[in-house]
Amino acid sequence: MVLLLQYTIIFASVLCLVALGGCFSEHSGVINLGLEGIMVMGALGGAVTMFLLPSGTSKIVIVLATTLFAILVGMIYSCLLGVACINFKADQTLIGTAMNLLATAAATVFVKAMNTSINPDNVSSSIQYIQEKKAFLKYFGGFEFNWFMVMAVVMLVLSWFLLYKTKFGLRLMACGENPQAADSVGINVYKMRWAGVLISGFLGGLGGIVYITAGVSEWKFEMGVAGFGFLALAVMIFGQWKPTNIALAALLFGLFRALSNVYTGIPFLKAMNLPSTVYNMLPYIISIIVLAFTSKNSRAPKAEGIPYDKGQR
Amino acid sequence: MKKKEPLIKNPSFQSILTSLLCIILGLLIGYIVLLLINPSGAGEAIKTILLNFLSRSSHAARMKALGNTLAKTAPLLMCALSICFCYKVGLFNIGAPGQYEAGACIGLYAAIAWHCNWAICLLLAAVAGAVVGAISGALKAYRNVNEVISGIMLNWIMLYLTNMVLSGKNVKEVASPYTIKVSGKSLIPSAGLNNLFANNRTVTIAIPLAIIFAILIWMILTKTKFGYELRATGFNKEAAKYAGMKEKQNIIVTLAIGGALAGIGAACLYLTGYQQWSTTQTSVPTMGFNGIAATFLGGLHPIGTIFASFFIQSITDGGALIDKSVYPSQISDLISSIIIYLCGFVLFFKFAINNWISKKDKGGPNVNDVPVTDAPAKSEGGEK
Amino acid sequence: MDAPYAIEMVNITKRFPGIIANDNITLQLRKGEIHALLGENGAGKSTLMSVLFGLYQAEEGVIKKDGKEVKVNNPNDANDLGIGMVHQHFKLVQCFTVLENIILGVEETKGGVLQMDEARAKVKALSEKYGLQVDPDAKIEDITVGMQQRTEILKMLFRDNEILIFDEPTAVLTPQEIDELMEIMRNLRAEGKSILFISHKLNEIMSVADRVTVLRRGKYIGTVDVKDVTKEDLSRMMVGRDVQMVVDKEPAKPGDVILKVENMTVASKMHSNNAVKNVSFEVHEGEIVCIAGIDGNGQTEFVYGLTGMEPLVDGKITLCGEDISHDSIRKRSREMSHIPEDRHKHGLVLDYPLEYNMILQRYYQSEFTSKAGFLKRPEIRAYSERLEKEFDVRSGQGPITIARAMSGGNQQKAIIAREVDKEHKLLVAVQPTRGLDVGAIEGVHRQLIAERDRGRAVLLISLELEEVMNVPDRILVMYEGEIVGELDPKKTTVEELGLYMAGAKRNVFIDANTAEIEESEAIDTAARKEEA
Repeated sequence: MVLLLQYTIIFASVLCLVALGGCFSEHSGVINLGLEGIMVMGALGGAVTMFLLPSGTSKIVIVLATTLFAILVGMIYSCLLGVACINFKADQTLIGTAMNLLATAAATVFVKAMNTSINPDNVSSSIQYIQEKKAFLKYFGGFEFNWFMVMAVVMLVLSWFLLYKTKFGLRLMACGENPQAADSVGINVYKMRWAGVLISGFLGGLGGIVYITAGVSEWKFEMGVAGFGFLALAVMIFGQWKPTNIALAALLFGLFRALSNVYTGIPFLKAMNLPSTVYNMLPYIISIIVLAFTSKNSRAPKAEGIPYDKGQR
Repeated sequence: MKKKEPLIKNPSFQSILTSLLCIILGLLIGYIVLLLINPSGAGEAIKTILLNFLSRSSHAARMKALGNTLAKTAPLLMCALSICFCYKVGLFNIGAPGQYEAGACIGLYAAIAWHCNWAICLLLAAVAGAVVGAISGALKAYRNVNEVISGIMLNWIMLYLTNMVLSGKNVKEVASPYTIKVSGKSLIPSAGLNNLFANNRTVTIAIPLAIIFAILIWMILTKTKFGYELRATGFNKEAAKYAGMKEKQNIIVTLAIGGALAGIGAACLYLTGYQQWSTTQTSVPTMGFNGIAATFLGGLHPIGTIFASFFIQSITDGGALIDKSVYPSQISDLISSIIIYLCGFVLFFKFAINNWISKKDKGGPNVNDVPVTDAPAKSEGGEK
Repeated sequence: MDAPYAIEMVNITKRFPGIIANDNITLQLRKGEIHALLGENGAGKSTLMSVLFGLYQAEEGVIKKDGKEVKVNNPNDANDLGIGMVHQHFKLVQCFTVLENIILGVEETKGGVLQMDEARAKVKALSEKYGLQVDPDAKIEDITVGMQQRTEILKMLFRDNEILIFDEPTAVLTPQEIDELMEIMRNLRAEGKSILFISHKLNEIMSVADRVTVLRRGKYIGTVDVKDVTKEDLSRMMVGRDVQMVVDKEPAKPGDVILKVENMTVASKMHSNNAVKNVSFEVHEGEIVCIAGIDGNGQTEFVYGLTGMEPLVDGKITLCGEDISHDSIRKRSREMSHIPEDRHKHGLVLDYPLEYNMILQRYYQSEFTSKAGFLKRPEIRAYSERLEKEFDVRSGQGPITIARAMSGGNQQKAIIAREVDKEHKLLVAVQPTRGLDVGAIEGVHRQLIAERDRGRAVLLISLELEEVMNVPDRILVMYEGEIVGELDPKKTTVEELGLYMAGAKRNVFIDANTAEIEESEAIDTAARKEEA
């Protein structure tokens, strides 16, 4: 049971962070289907940092450096979305998909090249970080506490504050709802959309490193992040683009994800003898059903997905 | 107005030009990455990726490798056609991988568990894909769910469902996570095509079949009443409704057809015996996503996708031939994903070309030549 | 104060590819005056305002504030100069509150936190001072159009703007709301604000403006004092010749009933009420019946219900003796032609060539589609060429011209050609002259009358008073989803029509009880009218 709780919280942290990232991007008016790719790049940034840090580095430095680089790489990668979709008005679905494919391919190429350059016989796409990962963990009895859980909560509160209590949030949402209106009162729509996309890179990158350190101590980058970015997208929709609802949705979907990992340890679930794939499927099925019943009066930002063009008024 | 226009003003020529531009830029970036990894073999490696089968030493080996590439081009082309067809109706069928999975699931099950004839397996795969596509369509038509979102969700649902179904004890090999090899009359026949490709059994009539589908889709879209309706719906849903077209029904039918195409695509791969399904795979097959690349690289034209599919598959296979102890084979995935990314800029490229033309023609840009994005305020937004 | 002008735009020229939108235009707004900018659609008013707001840069000319030259590169600059604008299409965020919309862009913060309470107090004070009632915490999507407009005005006042621009502010308002707005504008003038009032409605200009500048086809025609001119003078300046107020036509010879609408009720998409309530009337062959009314009184929904684009909540529609209440759009279109309100949204597939748009309602018929389902391309080409010739539709490349590349007038001609040529007994024409220039409008009116004289029933839905008074044989007035009056255009006056459109008068009743009371009122007004 403790294991279930631990997995639920850590997976929920990932989903919450990434979904919040998507939330910022969409509130600014840009659909971010590339979250999966941003996560991969964030994970890469963090994993490489951990790998390269000399052994014996103090825990706090490991935590800070890893987080920082994951975020940085995530943000840099999100620029691909910004340039294409904000400045060049490209199709947001196409670009998002390309970013997901590109991230996995680029991360694999990078890690393989890195591994081969260190040891010519090593052609794997994995990075190990057993020692460094320990810096993030603290044990309370059987419960493995991870500093990232705190970060997720902090980010959640910050996001809520930023969106609803600051002028930045007000302006950001105006750009996603009615960019022409925002423009008419002197708000630079392009800048705000860039801000939304960069924040989604920030949170997506952070989510990426949290995900690959959640249960394992090495990551094979050929796998990408196994659809977690898309699951986060489902969380965001299920949470109706609102931070508090997103947190709750993340907990629910995190629970399902955790169940697929640990259900064999829970007697009555084991007795039901459902294959783990069922637990993997459930969040997506729930999302579709929820969408089917809520989409008619969805709270999705009205102008999302539509490139903003100053000339068209 | 019968005056002969220069070639550069021809929209089809512009499409080809921009696609080539995307390819060249993609290859250039790939080459730079290769240079960064190891400068000494980079030239050789990019040559290998480009030449693919041509880089083999003997004629027989070349033909065999070409056969393999063609065998995988067929499913890719089917996925691309699925996406292309839906895109023409204004729908982004990002759910093609899910429909592809459904096709693989039922096609393989029928072939392995029931030993059905290949044609029946193919048909079942098409039906399965169509059903999944129709779900997306119905959700869009009746529940206002964006097809991109439902498509993504269905991709994952179908992945896990397929893994579950194909893990059954009479379809999966006991000792491995792979499905039992397809054999006998369940295999798509070669009809002698294998002899042309150094007896490569995976070269089947699936390849000409896919090309026939491409031509068929092109004819349906441009020459028929059905295509007229679908394209009108894609351009302007409201006008289609005004003209009495059943737009909801059209959405569902379109995605069902798209689904069927993707489902057949899966059959075209798994029923040739080229590959077995791994029931432990945790990511959506990239075939459907690469279909997006082929669609856009093919200028959103069914005939263009034939060449684009072959190109994408060829560089992917070429990537597998480079020296793996120096360069990762995923370099070709990298190149093709960069190409997809650049395809997002196609409209801009075309706009730039047209701008350049009108500047050369002097007299300022002519409204008729400039694509949709231009014409500031004067046409619609100006005075009301 | 020595400089008499709050803002001046001197010799402004702005070109777009193919046209000169503003050709050497001068506009001088005095301090504390209401200055009207008059011009038809396409005269260049919006372009001029966009230049003032820095949305476009003029190629020639200067902008002066208090006599000093200034540069306006973006809306922020305009705001810094104290210029504010109520756009024709409100620039409001639907899911934000009134207050949030007002402060957007000029938010006060303390330690990064938005300060809503101070802003709310300021808004309340302003709304009291100028008589602009609005609830600051209501969401835009829940309030009326009039309140949304007040929000826009408050937005300007909140920014302490001195120069207020109103872009066609009355198009979306009821007559009462229009009166209120005029009052508000006078209040603002009294407080020393300078107002630029963009309009093509002569009555409003005569009633509220001090001076008026007239534009025509991008050119500056002149600036005059309102008190020195008549409506007819302004009208002449605006269109360049005397407006032909009367459309030539023979008296109607109505025949059998073609369309019969009984108790039609249609739901609204905007709110939970019905948009069309219990509407009943008939249209005969050989007559033009016009449904008049102010925008947003259920006309759009009525047309949707009639043509099958929205289902009926209740009621019955009979066309040529057949009940079509629940038939599909396609089935109704056999006897009914429909010129839609929005030609870009409904009337055309803009990315299709002209020839494909010409067959939009008929593509499935055996004339254009073979039994096997293939399009008959040569027949389509020939048909399009014939229609283009008959209806004088002009385009760059004939049938293969992409519809988007055609001018608005020719797009409309193409739609009319398609709808008139197709087999039908009833023609539903919804605002068929919207956005067209004077010449094109006359052409459309001639077509409608020709239709009538061919024995078809014509149902015209119009917002333009001039059109309502001159084209139809009978007028039905729609107010808040009901038919409130039936008038004879030969006997009624514009003033009377206005009273019906504003809901101040009615002569059609559904409910017997209310009938008595309101009838007496109607008699009252009639009596008063006779006195006058």
